[in-house]
Formats: sequence, C-alpha cells, structure tokens
Amino acid sequence: MTTTQHTLLATSLGTAASVQQPTKSAAPAPQSAKSAAPRQVTQRDIENVERALIDQSARGPVLTFFTTGIFWLLVSVVLGFIASKKLHVPEYHSTHSWMTYGRIWPAYTTALIYGWCSLAGMGVATWLIGRLTRVAIKAPGILQWGAWFWNAGVAAGVITILSGYNSGLEYFEMHSAAKLCMFIGFLLIGVWGLILFRYKRTAAPYISVSYLVAAFLLFPLFFGSAAALDSTSAMTGVMKNVVNAWYQGGLFNLWFGCIGIAAAYYFIPKVINRPVYSYNLANIGFWSWVFLGGLTAMTKLSGGPVPAYLVTISIAASILLIIPIVTLTTNFMRTMKGHTESMAYSPTLRFVFVGTIFFSIAASLNVLSALRSVDSYTHFTPWAHGQVHAMVLGFFSMVMFGAIYYITPRLVGCEWLSRTFIKWHFLGTAYGGGTIIALFLLSGIFMGFTLNEPAAVEEPSGTAIWNFFNVPQNAGFCNAVKTYIGYFFFGIAQFIFAIHFLFMRLRIGQPAGEPTLFANPGEAH
Amino acid sequence: MEKQSTLFTGIFGAFIISCGVMVLLPSSQIGALQPQVTWDEGQNSPSDVYPVKLENALGRRPGQSVYAENGCFYCHTQQVRDPQYGADMERGWGVRRTVARDYIFQSVPLLGSTRLGPDLANFGSGTWRNEHHDDRRAPAKRDAAWIYKHLYSPKSNFPDSNCPPYPYLFERKDVGGQPSPDAVAVEGNHQVVPTADARNLAKYLLSLNSSHELKESPTVIKPKEAKK
Repeated sequence: MTTTQHTLLATSLGTAASVQQPTKSAAPAPQSAKSAAPRQVTQRDIENVERALIDQSARGPVLTFFTTGIFWLLVSVVLGFIASKKLHVPEYHSTHSWMTYGRIWPAYTTALIYGWCSLAGMGVATWLIGRLTRVAIKAPGILQWGAWFWNAGVAAGVITILSGYNSGLEYFEMHSAAKLCMFIGFLLIGVWGLILFRYKRTAAPYISVSYLVAAFLLFPLFFGSAAALDSTSAMTGVMKNVVNAWYQGGLFNLWFGCIGIAAAYYFIPKVINRPVYSYNLANIGFWSWVFLGGLTAMTKLSGGPVPAYLVTISIAASILLIIPIVTLTTNFMRTMKGHTESMAYSPTLRFVFVGTIFFSIAASLNVLSALRSVDSYTHFTPWAHGQVHAMVLGFFSMVMFGAIYYITPRLVGCEWLSRTFIKWHFLGTAYGGGTIIALFLLSGIFMGFTLNEPAAVEEPSGTAIWNFFNVPQNAGFCNAVKTYIGYFFFGIAQFIFAIHFLFMRLRIGQPAGEPTLFANPGEAH
Repeated sequence: MEKQSTLFTGIFGAFIISCGVMVLLPSSQIGALQPQVTWDEGQNSPSDVYPVKLENALGRRPGQSVYAENGCFYCHTQQVRDPQYGADMERGWGVRRTVARDYIFQSVPLLGSTRLGPDLANFGSGTWRNEHHDDRRAPAKRDAAWIYKHLYSPKSNFPDSNCPPYPYLFERKDVGGQPSPDAVAVEGNHQVVPTADARNLAKYLLSLNSSHELKESPTVIKPKEAKK
C-alpha cells in the first residue's frame, strides 16, 4: 500500500523516482530531479515532495505507534482513576484480587509509562528522525513488527501484574518474559533510528537529532542491563534496588526527557518559523542533561541501606541539574519571545510550550527534593509520585500531544475535525493533569509533616494526636480532589482526544491544506 | 563525521560513567557481603550467624511472593533509617537502622518507597509497635490472628486505617463442630478462614526481624527500653 502511495505522489507531482529512493550521496538527487522534469521545478517543490515521501514512508509505523499508544492512554486513565480512588475509599471494589490497590497501581504506571508514553515517544521520534535526517524509511514493516512486539510485551506485563505477578521493583514490575518481548520490539525500532542517522542527508545535525540519538542509544542500554540484572542472580540483596533506582533515572531523564526535549526543539521553532535562540546554549543543555541525567536517581534511596556516597553523588548531580534546566528554559523562552501570541492559534505550540514549562517544573522538583531539608519531609510520601507525574503527564505527554496534533494530518491527508475538541483536550490535560501533579505533591507535604513527627507528640490533655494511622488521613482530602477533579477531567479529555484521533484514522476531518487552529489569525484579536 | 563520533563517544561515556558509579562501584562494595559470623573462644562451630538463609530455591519465602504480588510494598516499606533522617525508631519500627547486610539473602528486597502504612522491617521482632505507648487503642500483640483480622477488615483493628481489605485471601467453610481458631468471622453455619496464601503471608510477616546486633549498625534503642 505504501509503495503505491509513493508512486502516486511521485507521478502526480511530476518528479522522477530519483527523489523517491534517496541515495547515500545527497548532492546528485536534486540535479537529476531537475533534468527529469522539463517544466520549472524549484528547490522548494523538490523539498516539499521529498518531505511528503518521507512522511509517507513513516505513515504506517507512526500511526500504529500513535493508535496503540492512545489505547494504552485510555487504559491507564481508567486504572489511574481507580487507583487514586482507592487511596481515599480503600474498600472500593476490593473483593477481586486484580482490583486491589497493590495491583491496580503498578498496572496503571506500566500502562502509562510503557504503553502510552513510550509508544507515543517512539512514534514521534521515528517521524522526527526521518524528517531531520531527510531519509525515507525503507522497511516500515520492521518498525510495525517492533511496535507489535512492544505492545505484546506491555499487554503481557499489565495482565500478569493484574493477575498477580510483581517483580518487586517499582516502575519495572513486568515479568521478565514481557521485558524481553519489549526489548526485541525496541531493537527492531531503535536500530532504524540509528540507521537513518547514519545515512543522513543533512550536513550539520540539528540539536533534536542529538537528543534522539541519545534516547535511542541510552534506553536499550539502561533497559537491557536493568532487565538482565533483575532476572538473573548476578546481583542480589539491595543491589537490586540500586539497579532499579539507576534504571529509573535513565527511564525518566534520558528516555522521556531526551525525546520530549527533542520534540520541543523541533516544534517550537517550526511553528513560529524562527531559529532556536542559541545553539551554544542548546549544546551545553544537551551534554549536561545527558551526563547528569543518569546520576540523579539515588536520592530515592536516601537514608536507606545503601552506601551513603551513592546518595551524596545523586544529590550533587541533582543540584547541578540547575545547569540544563536554566539553559533549556532560557532557550525555549527566548525562542518564544515575541511569539507567545501564536499560542492562541496553534494547538501544537500551545501543547508543546506548556509542556516545556512543565519540564522546568519537573526538573526543578528533582533539584528541590534532592535537598536534605526538603527530602526529610517528602521522603516516603506521594511527593515522589508527583515528581514522576510532572515528568510523564505534565511534560512528556503534553509535548507528545502537541506533536501528534502536528504529525497526524501530514500522515492521513486531512485536518483535525474540530477545534473545540482540541480546546477541551488542552483544558482537561493541562488543568486535570496539573491538579493530579499538584495534589500528589501537596499530599506528600501534608503527610511529610506528620510522618516526620514521632508518635509521641501530645496535646496538653495528655492524648497522643499524631499516631501513625492519622498520617495517610491527612492526605485523604487531597486524594479525593485528585480523583474526582484531576483524574476525572484528565480522563474525559483523553477520551475526547481518542475519539478525535479515531476520526482522523477514518479520515473524517477538515479538508487537507488548512490546519485546524484554535482561531484563525485575525479572528481572535 | 567528526561531529558524529563525538556524539556517539559522549553518549557512551555518559552511560559508562553512570553505570560505573551507580552500579558497578557499589556492587564491588556490597555485592558480595557475607553473613556476620560470631565465634566463641574454644568452640568448633559459630555461636551466632546473621542473617540466616531462609528462602526457597526461587529466592523468595512463600509468603514474600504473596506480599509482592498484592503490592503490599507500595504502602509498607521494609527499611529503618538512622534517627537523623526521620522518626522511624521513635515510632517503634526498629531498634537500629537497617543496612545492606540485612538483605543479602533476599533476591529482591521489598524496600518500598512510600509509607502510606507503617514500616514492617521488624514486624515480627516483638518490640515493633505502631502507636504511642500511652494510646489506649493500642493492641497488645501482633500475632497471626491479629494479621488475619487486619487483612480481612483493617478497620476492625484501627477505625482510621487506610489499608484496603483483602477478602480474596479468605474462604467460607462450613463450621462443622468447633469453629477454627483462625476464623475471622462466623456467620451461622459458615466461618471465614484464611487461605494458604494468607497463612503464608502471616508467617512471612512474623518472620520479619532485623533487630539482631550488627557491627556496622549499632543498636540505637535498647530492646528492653523499647518494650515498655
């Protein structure tokens, strides 16, 4: 099917097949195209056709990534709602073993992180790397297989967790067979990204490419070595927990962090049609992020039964994260300077830019909670969940939504049906997601104040007031608001988004050409 | 081309530094810890070995799987921190901080990262408590019967408890003469008794004890003082 589309596109635009099959040498291609077409063909026409062909080559796998990713997003919001409700109504549906909090929560995080986020991320990364290297994907079938392997792994992971398997390692609870399946899937996908990079047809790699290469190289290294060490007895005892904390740093900072930043660096300048403010800053940000990102995770184990220097190194690395945070934030803000009004029109820009603000928040939370004085209140509380959700829901998902709003019309050949749907999706995601993050953090602080007090705080009358069983109750109100406002509105927004995406897959939308904006320029002001 | 090799080298360098510092270095340090063995003078066998290898071939005690499968560790930690980090010991969760040697025979220690419930590292130690000692609601003793009651209906032990009930760890059986001593509820001709999973879980919980003396982690609170 894809090949026929190739030929159709190529013939209808009157260009020779030389463009369709990009060769290793970049220079001859435009020339031969020029000689083959007698009428005036400008460089711009060739680039447009090329871009359309590259998009077409990525169409199948990228749409598979998005569709399955959105399926897992819906699964995860339902599970997340149930898990959150169980924190303030513990008896809620507790008769079935698969509905207990201890199974619903890991199933939720697995579906969210490995289902939605990773699949959407791989879809966006595949499309981006094709666009940035200007090379068409020659065997999209391999990527499709990769996507299905990954999906099978996630499905097996979620189902085994619900039916009662747990590796005992947070954010990595799946059975090792599921991990192996996901790893094979990733190799089929990731190898393509690196091959495309090898045959790139542009001279200087754009900063997004560096981030994507980092993500595609580092993720299999972290994932593979953590999975191998978990399923063998090479390491036992607390080393398993150390490896898991290390892996979490790679997962959140280097996998989601790098793909999200790569997308932000592509879409913000693209939409406002302006170069990135500073390439030097971008480079400093990149190298500091890549080197520090893998070193910050041991703050999760502070005070635990691990060598103290691990935690000290992580605290130092977390504080140094200020460097990438400041450079990235400055770069995004200065690039956007004077163009913030474009957010009134472009859904992509609004999602991606708000996502970068969440990035600054999420990474700053990393710095903040590394400080001993803050950690003494927030350790062992849902504050850590707030940090993860800021990274995964606030930053990464927002950027991915923006990217999907940009990419999908270019793959299916029609524009998004309704600007109202996009508006609702944005409101639900930003405010619902923000509520979820804020209340995880807030309940963490509330809990921290009481958790940190010994039980012996007494009222003048002589009765103990801070017994342990008061502690989670202090956060009960937070959890109720998180469920009924946060997860509810966030979930509704995702269902609207899923329906909207389904319309796109069925090619129900506005005619191609004019992008669906929040308001047409001139209309809003 | 130069740029490309810099990129690849740099990224691999970042991974090697991260892996080396965060995984290989600590592994060389605590990866091969042995139990603490105490010899008394003139004896042929050690007078004391801690910790003791308890688990089966899979590396998990039967009850530990039940604990992990049902995600108990999402709310209950199994680590006691030094007093400078928090009030763990003042709350009665342990007499000393837990160290790497306590966990050497566990294939995956269920350290946990959130304390929506109390820490359980010393649940079976006999000195473990979770409420202020003046509290009139304090149950005297944690035994299997207490655990079954807690699993079946946490609010029957603590009206404020946030722990979900686990009715699927119990089964209904005919009374048939004398009700079982472990029955958590008797309704007419039926009694609700714990399943094998619940019994294993109780056995596991009561085996949790890391209050044994260790050289590298001196006892902060003397067990006798903690008892009152």
